[in-house]
Amino acid sequence: MSARSKAPASARNGLTIAVFAAVVLSMPFWLPLIGGYEALATKIVIWAIFAVGFDILLGFTGYLSFGHAAFFGTSAYTTGLMLKHVSADVLPAMGASILVTVFLAFLLGVITLRRAGIYFAILTLAFAQMFHVAALSIFQGWTGGDNGLTMSTRPELLGIPMTGLNVFYFAAAIAIVGFYIALRIRNSPFGLMLRSIKSNAMRLEYTGVYVRAYKQIGFMISAVYAGVAGSLMVIYEPYVATKFLHWSTSGEIVIMSVIGGVGTLIGPMLGATFMLYFQNVVQAFIGEQWKLVLGIIFMLVVIFMPGGFMEGLRRLRGAVTPGGASGAGADSTASARQPAE
Amino acid sequence: MSLLEVKDVNKSFGGLAALSNINLSVDEGTVHAIIGPNGAGKSTLLNVMIGLIEADSGTVEFDGRSLSNVSPHDIIQRGIARVFQTPQIFPELSLRENVAIAGLARRDGKFKMNALQSPRRTAEVYDAAEDLLEDMGLKDLVHEEAQHLSRGDKRRLELAICLAAEPRLLLLDEPTAGMSRHDTNQTIDLLKKLAERGTTKVVIEHDMHVVFSLAERISVLAQGQIIADGAPDEVRGDPKVEEAYLGGAHL
Repeated sequence: MSARSKAPASARNGLTIAVFAAVVLSMPFWLPLIGGYEALATKIVIWAIFAVGFDILLGFTGYLSFGHAAFFGTSAYTTGLMLKHVSADVLPAMGASILVTVFLAFLLGVITLRRAGIYFAILTLAFAQMFHVAALSIFQGWTGGDNGLTMSTRPELLGIPMTGLNVFYFAAAIAIVGFYIALRIRNSPFGLMLRSIKSNAMRLEYTGVYVRAYKQIGFMISAVYAGVAGSLMVIYEPYVATKFLHWSTSGEIVIMSVIGGVGTLIGPMLGATFMLYFQNVVQAFIGEQWKLVLGIIFMLVVIFMPGGFMEGLRRLRGAVTPGGASGAGADSTASARQPAE
Repeated sequence: MSLLEVKDVNKSFGGLAALSNINLSVDEGTVHAIIGPNGAGKSTLLNVMIGLIEADSGTVEFDGRSLSNVSPHDIIQRGIARVFQTPQIFPELSLRENVAIAGLARRDGKFKMNALQSPRRTAEVYDAAEDLLEDMGLKDLVHEEAQHLSRGDKRRLELAICLAAEPRLLLLDEPTAGMSRHDTNQTIDLLKKLAERGTTKVVIEHDMHVVFSLAERISVLAQGQIIADGAPDEVRGDPKVEEAYLGGAHL
């Protein structure tokens, strides 16, 4: 029974990855057609990596972190310092950044995952802000304080200069692999455990599962995505801004996730694309009031489409194909079936 | 042979003695019912057994090993499962996923880093989950989200989750609470069928119809103390029990 129902699921994943890769890799060609530019494509891909990783924590496990800037920013500084002082090659810089992120995520996870809900959000926010303050004060000598960390050398990958489209394809390849890994996680026993933490952590514990361990590892995986994104950000633009550690960076990834559709993996990436496109392209047409318009769009989505853009797409598909397009495998947050009493 | 030993357990909440000097022995392969009026301490006792509440003094031993200072998931991994008074299920997940979680906990232990494991490697667990759901009469609903089930079906699902873990001891806290007579009888049949598997069961129950249909041994709890303990026929005739439990009415 399940052997039969599983085969189409993996085939669907293969198709999803193929379409995703095609859309991402062709972005430098189609984005300029709608007013974007090459460098924006790179930025979108980097934030998409951040968003997919964030969804593993928020979407699967149900933990809202307001402190992912700590991972994004610390990793960015590590990459910057490595590129500046050790080697202009990006591989040792990224390797070191990932190690630092894993270590940091382990520590923060042990401390913050003791609490859930709003307390977890506040704890993560507080820790991330501590990092921001530390970067501006005691570590000012390393981080450059308010001025940020500037580099004179251009990063390279095994002798290839990391400029323009090279950075884009490097980041795009990582994004495709990252999305593939996230899909594998979703379909794995591990992913099922994360989703059941969100659903009923108490039942899970009383089913013989070490909930803390799964939360901790899920948190760390999510942090590594943020760290990789932070590192790529510095490779893309050899400069580290203090904003990378600021709470507004944490807030931005939350808004991207919510507006795109929490728990769908693709949704948060759509959200990231929309936000960056809006901030960089649409903004020019609207003028000074663009933030107000963005706020209104966010409100409308949250009120009328709580499932984000992905819910909108599902509704659209349901309206186009008569009888609805509800597959058994689809996340059915949108379908409001009547409980059978 | 005794599978579960409760020895001299005391527990009080802010001066109120919920359990005083409880001694209880559950024999392997039996159905042991714990009955008593509201507030007698039945649920507290069950919670102590499973580590949800820590006793002030006394010990609980399962299969000869103490359960004190053992975390809940480790207690479960030793072979105990618990059905709660309000069904505890995973509302947003499908029925087959609900049951597969327990199957995976059984297969992989309390933690396993299998984040990239292919769905093919878990097909067996899902197949077993569907078979179990079929036994429970939930075959047609395996792909439904658990939150859409009726209350009776939710209980049945929770029972399936517990059974997928293949426990040696199953603790049931009022498995028929809030059920219609029809659903109650169905649950009794189900539990009787399970008796054939040889799983030891501890049942807390209000409904005397259920108790006397199932139990091989009954312990009567009143005001935190065990006032009677024995075979159903012995307990039924005990005047002390009638006094405490029903204020003198006949059981």
